[in-house]
Amino acid sequence: MKIAASVKSGITRSLRAWKGILIMWFVILLMVSMVAIPMKGVLQSGLGDSMITEKLAAGINIDFFADMSASFKSLVSYFSNGLLMIIITGFFINTFLTGGLFNSLKKHSGSFSYNEFFKSSADNFWSFSGISLIVNLIIVLVAIVVIIIPISVFEQAEFSSEGSLFKAVIITISIFLLIVAYLYIVADYARAWQAISDKGGCFRALRFAFRQTAGTFFLSCSLMLILLLFQLFYGLVVFKLLTQYKPVSGIGVFMLFLFSQILFYIKLMMKATRYGSITKMMELNTVSPDQ
Amino acid sequence: MKRYLIFAYALVLFMLPAHSQLINKQQLSPRQTGYTIDARLDPVSKVVTGSMNAFWVNMSNDVVPDIQLHLYMNAFKNGNSTLNIETHGYRKQKQSEYGWINIVSFKDRNGVNLTPFMNFISPDDGNISDQTVMRVRLPKPVSPGDTVFINVEFETKLPSHIRRTGYNDDFYFVAQWFPKFGVYEPVGMRYATKGGWNCHQFHYNSEFYSNHSLYTVNITVPNEYIVGSGGLQMEEPSSDQKAGTKTIRYRAEDIVDFAWTAWPGYSVFYDKWKNVEITLLIPKERTEQVGRQFGSVKNALEYFSANVGAYPWPYLTIVDPPAKGDGAGGMEYTTLFTSSSSYMMPEFLHFPEMVTVHEFGHAYFMGILASNEFEEPWLDEGVNSFWEERIMDHYYGENSGLMDNPLLKLADNSYGRIMYVSSDRRQTVSNNEYSWNYPYGTYGMMSYFKTATWLYTLMGIVGEETTNEIFREYYKKWAFKHPSGKDFVNVVNDVVPRINGNKFGNDMNWFFDQTLYGTGICDYKVSRIFNDQIEFQSDYSAVPDTLKRNSDVSEKRYKSVAELERAGEVMLPVDVLIHFTNGDEIHESWDGKSRFKDFIYIGSRRIEWVKIDPDYKIKMDINYINNSMTIRPDRIPVRRFSYKLIAFMQFFISFISL
Repeated sequence: MKIAASVKSGITRSLRAWKGILIMWFVILLMVSMVAIPMKGVLQSGLGDSMITEKLAAGINIDFFADMSASFKSLVSYFSNGLLMIIITGFFINTFLTGGLFNSLKKHSGSFSYNEFFKSSADNFWSFSGISLIVNLIIVLVAIVVIIIPISVFEQAEFSSEGSLFKAVIITISIFLLIVAYLYIVADYARAWQAISDKGGCFRALRFAFRQTAGTFFLSCSLMLILLLFQLFYGLVVFKLLTQYKPVSGIGVFMLFLFSQILFYIKLMMKATRYGSITKMMELNTVSPDQ
Repeated sequence: MKRYLIFAYALVLFMLPAHSQLINKQQLSPRQTGYTIDARLDPVSKVVTGSMNAFWVNMSNDVVPDIQLHLYMNAFKNGNSTLNIETHGYRKQKQSEYGWINIVSFKDRNGVNLTPFMNFISPDDGNISDQTVMRVRLPKPVSPGDTVFINVEFETKLPSHIRRTGYNDDFYFVAQWFPKFGVYEPVGMRYATKGGWNCHQFHYNSEFYSNHSLYTVNITVPNEYIVGSGGLQMEEPSSDQKAGTKTIRYRAEDIVDFAWTAWPGYSVFYDKWKNVEITLLIPKERTEQVGRQFGSVKNALEYFSANVGAYPWPYLTIVDPPAKGDGAGGMEYTTLFTSSSSYMMPEFLHFPEMVTVHEFGHAYFMGILASNEFEEPWLDEGVNSFWEERIMDHYYGENSGLMDNPLLKLADNSYGRIMYVSSDRRQTVSNNEYSWNYPYGTYGMMSYFKTATWLYTLMGIVGEETTNEIFREYYKKWAFKHPSGKDFVNVVNDVVPRINGNKFGNDMNWFFDQTLYGTGICDYKVSRIFNDQIEFQSDYSAVPDTLKRNSDVSEKRYKSVAELERAGEVMLPVDVLIHFTNGDEIHESWDGKSRFKDFIYIGSRRIEWVKIDPDYKIKMDINYINNSMTIRPDRIPVRRFSYKLIAFMQFFISFISL
């Protein structure tokens, strides 16, 4: 019951915060465009007035990229450097905007205000950065402990075989994903608590989050798994749609852009629903955020 | 005297099977060499103990004072062997991890001990630390027609770090393991200007140049081991219950090397293609790969038989090594080869099939034709890669021979071409180089991929059927005779004019001089298209329409020019397709010799686009992008690509952020 109520509330809250999500979408689009548009230029100049683009009609063509030679190296350079830049700046920008979003998702947040959104973004930035950094660090450590070390040991073991190694990889990755889901709950509780509480500090928020997660383990985990599975399913559908859709006209390509952006906006809405649902779950299970 | 009589009797017994036919009805090769070996594997010490009787027949007109043999396992004997120097792979190892071959005794037909006459030589690089070639001075030089018999007792310690051969745990791949004769080349054979042994050291690149031989090999292993070899099992294994071992007797005829493997974890499967019995040894857990392995080798058998020549042996063994033996994967020993698959290998990746087709193909170029891989690696690896690419793309999809995924398709010939055209060292050296002389990092690209690419180009020029005929003739003329590169070129020069007349000139040397022996690149490009309106006139009847159309005299006339350029050094004939704004198309031919070429048209139509080599026949062209030009470029694919990239990056950011 609490799960259904949380999800329902999460959806309502995310719909109410649509403007905040719109800001997130726009900022991410700008950031990605800073990499993708120069890449498009490089690709265009590498092709000149060639008709080789015919070969792209059926999808990615390896010959085509090989023949780009120097242009391809520029393309790869743009992509790799751009991706690194996006990962770093994306982390901070996302952390910043999530601060505002969590504030919009909390109970009695009232009508959306841009001032309020950016103010809370700024207020929560450092503690949200701390929470994100610590949780990400834990995820990396978990990956090392749960996947890399056991698989390395298993690979060296005399009894290991190809089949058992494969099964071991599947099992360790599954365990890792479950722990990641757990850490997502912790991160969400910590940020929800931080958005509600007047007291700052990522460590206090995390302490609350771990206690809250432990106290509502079954409920929280079930809720998170349901939400993540929906997101995963949605991601797979989007991937399939975007890879299969190959428009050949100008209007078709514009529709592709529009369509892909709507899909991404929905993805952000789903993420906001997750934040809102966890916030609601916290509100249902916590007498006071100062606990 | 009695001793000599006994020995002579033994020799007669030994030589009888040498000329008997147990596998094929007819002898396929001259069988200049033959080996009878008793081998015993000790899984504790990792040593194969061998007792070998072997012969070499002097089929030349020379009096030969010595014999030369490969002792390839010594490549793993020390850190200064030529192999280890070439791979920069030497690391301090435990003594138990090294490999070597130790000659315990070496006698001639009279029982004379020849060990005092043995010495190591290094004909390729003078490396005194390399002990992979042994010369034995004979007490009496060998006259033409005479036969040298040797009896050798040896111990082969297998290396632990498998590089083609060795062991890991209880897996053994035993190759290059016994003393093997080099090839004596008399004057006139290949490039020989005087008679002498051609016996190269063991190198990182290239492995084979040997006589076609007769092998009778008895292998003794512990009972639980499953054995596969390049020979045909002649009888049920004999078992020694007390020692817990079994002995398996194999015979192989007219092959250039004998290798075997032993591992308790194999599953054995059988299949058949026409008269060829196929045996597959594969790890038990990989049984889902069995169909893929059999399917691909049958495809290769069918394609080679139809387009090159018959596979002459009635059996074939495929070994798919386990992960712990992957260093043995992707190797060829004529009637036995190793593939390389893995547990749960996705169906869309045709990598195991590609390896199987490639390694099987060596049965033709390294096994049947048996060219000198050390001196002309392109003639084996390159020619074989060409056939591998053709077979893969024929059976697994023209655009998906190597990978067939909705997101990414990759033709095998595209992969080969990319490896050549995208290399910034493609002009460092020609294709005509000894394997160990290639500058670092260029061997694979040149020997495999450049060769396959120019062979595709040759096929693009002379046609597919002519190409097949070239190889049929090459096989017919040179099977079991060790052809050289010039012999292959001569076959091309015979076949192409015979089928095409004078279309490509008296011979094809102009092609090989540029591709095989040259270092130039091929790059044709469309430099410019322009359509200039001819000064306005009320009546254009004075301006001829070179397109020979019935243009209205009042229609505007244009001077339309397609400017083409040869940007590379290689000159090849190319087709040119010119498309006009009204849909008309003209096919032109250009001999491709001049640096620039203009195609000029005057008429009422304008050029819309131009394509050089519209059917992509000239695979050597390093840049297909500049092969075409249009006045109305299509930007849609790039925009589509960019928008999808933006979307995927957005989802990526959202995915990695909490």
